[in-house]
Amino acid sequence: MTTQPMTAAPAQIEARRRGGGKRRRKPGTAWGPIGWVFLVLLVLFSLLPMVWMFFTSIKSQLTALQYPPEWYPHNPTLEEYHRLLSPSSEVGGEFLTFLWNSIYVSTATTVIGVAIAVPAAYAFSRFRFPGRKFLFFAVLFRNMFPAVVFLMPLFIMMRLMGLVNTQASLILTYLTFGLPLSIWLLKGFYDNIPIQLEQAARIDGATRFQAFMLVVMPLSAPGITATAIYSFITAWNEYVYALTFLNDDDKLTLPVGLQRFFSEYVTNWPGLMAASFIMSVPVVALFLVLQKYFVRALTEGAVKS
Amino acid sequence: MATAAPVNANRVDPRRYRELNVLQRMYRCRADYLYVLPSLGVMFLVIGYPIYYTVYLSFFNTPPSLSMDEKSFAGIENYSRILASSRFHEVTWNTTIWTFASTFFAFVLGFGAALVLNREFPGRAVTRGVLLVPFVISAVAASYVWRWIYHSDFGVLGALAVQMGFSDTPLNFLDSIDYALPSLIVVNVWKEFPFAMLLMLAGLQTVPDQLLRAATVDGASVWQRFWHVTVPHLKGVILITVLLLFVQNINHFTIPWVMTGGGPAGASDIWITQIYQIAFGRIRFGLASAYSVILFAVMIVIGYFYVKALAFGDERPNA
Repeated sequence: MTTQPMTAAPAQIEARRRGGGKRRRKPGTAWGPIGWVFLVLLVLFSLLPMVWMFFTSIKSQLTALQYPPEWYPHNPTLEEYHRLLSPSSEVGGEFLTFLWNSIYVSTATTVIGVAIAVPAAYAFSRFRFPGRKFLFFAVLFRNMFPAVVFLMPLFIMMRLMGLVNTQASLILTYLTFGLPLSIWLLKGFYDNIPIQLEQAARIDGATRFQAFMLVVMPLSAPGITATAIYSFITAWNEYVYALTFLNDDDKLTLPVGLQRFFSEYVTNWPGLMAASFIMSVPVVALFLVLQKYFVRALTEGAVKS
Repeated sequence: MATAAPVNANRVDPRRYRELNVLQRMYRCRADYLYVLPSLGVMFLVIGYPIYYTVYLSFFNTPPSLSMDEKSFAGIENYSRILASSRFHEVTWNTTIWTFASTFFAFVLGFGAALVLNREFPGRAVTRGVLLVPFVISAVAASYVWRWIYHSDFGVLGALAVQMGFSDTPLNFLDSIDYALPSLIVVNVWKEFPFAMLLMLAGLQTVPDQLLRAATVDGASVWQRFWHVTVPHLKGVILITVLLLFVQNINHFTIPWVMTGGGPAGASDIWITQIYQIAFGRIRFGLASAYSVILFAVMIVIGYFYVKALAFGDERPNA
């Protein structure tokens, strides 16, 4: 695991080892200066667009439309943020409605999705009923199909059910991608909870359902949190269903609202960047705080250790 | 997973259980199905039925009013019209470039990032966090930011090119027939390489140190260790990562739609944007359904390999 045991290695091995490049913990991943340059470039590539988004958002409309551009905002202003977040202004009133709609739809999707996915994931992880493998892969198979091809039948279905232009239609369709993903993530967590705990509970007289509710559920709280937040982020960022199913301005979610709203003021780039920034901050914050869980959750299924 | 005894095993003697036929087994496990029933119900409603309906609709001409009582049977006319049109061939070519280029570059960058991050250094967690930001933010926000960066008059990238002497006038990215698709691919790679990085990083952590040490002792160079130890060990993870990226790319809608809408002159139109355009721009659900079924067929072939790769991962003994 660590380099400590290696200090006892014969000198010649040590010498050859050094010849292979500077290495710390993991042999075979010592890439030297090239690795560092690559990493720095990659960080810049990831970060600079975000920085530019923020810089633009604190410029005035006039300074934003300058050529050559002002590389660094000399007279930063929070004007656009003020406008967007004050309910009294026309733009702000609309923006806050979109924000609220996004919060509402994402939360509802998450709560319903996780509540349905938890028992299913548990069953896929623990029970050995016939057809288990087939059903699980059927669940995963959904992820192979793009949202766009589900749009037409769902659109017709929503029309029949009278749900077009309601947020219920979004919540229902978000389950199409939310559920399989949640089941997949949660199954990974359940696979890691030792089955002996439930077996012990069963011996102590708990029913199967009690063992699940009282022993497994508390232990899987981190997994459920991670899954819930991941499904929240996916719903928050979803675009194509919201674009197709909603028409009324007061029902739009942020991703679509952003578009409709700014097409009227095409040139207000600082405003658009400020809105994008406000929209990105919560998800980035949530993700980074819970990074550890996500990384585990996302990779659990694909990579068996 | 494979080693643990099923929770419900104590209900039936395992040897007798094996002798039961499928129906009897299903009956024995009837309570298990209650756990998956709500999921399957919802999924049937919003996934199973739509797939069936898409296939069904692909054989019909649908009226623009979308009142489905007035649709008329068209046989395979929709299919033959699509396959014969030159538009389809252009869009297929764009889709191929988009999918392969995005997958390739996202994988290479992601794998590279994973290799560099797979060792201890101060600020490793922060670096990983920074690299994940593009992956987390909404594709719509990302598309707008990049549209602004690519802007033909005030875009920072064009101005930068002038400043550094590459060009006399600000470059045209999204309005140029030649550069639109490559520009979109850059954005897509920016957005999804962190996903490949995460998967590969998790994979790299499963490569046993002893193997790498042994290779070092045998005199293998860094490159040889990478090529002969790390890569073979990661075969399964690489396969799954590439497949997932591939599927994600072929299905990607938001970036091309928000950034160029398929333009200019269809230069960045891919299957998905084309299907959306036919369905909700021209309101021809029948034709768009036939298009979707063609896409289904492609996805089923890929899906077959995906499930096989996953099942392969599942069969491996757990360490």
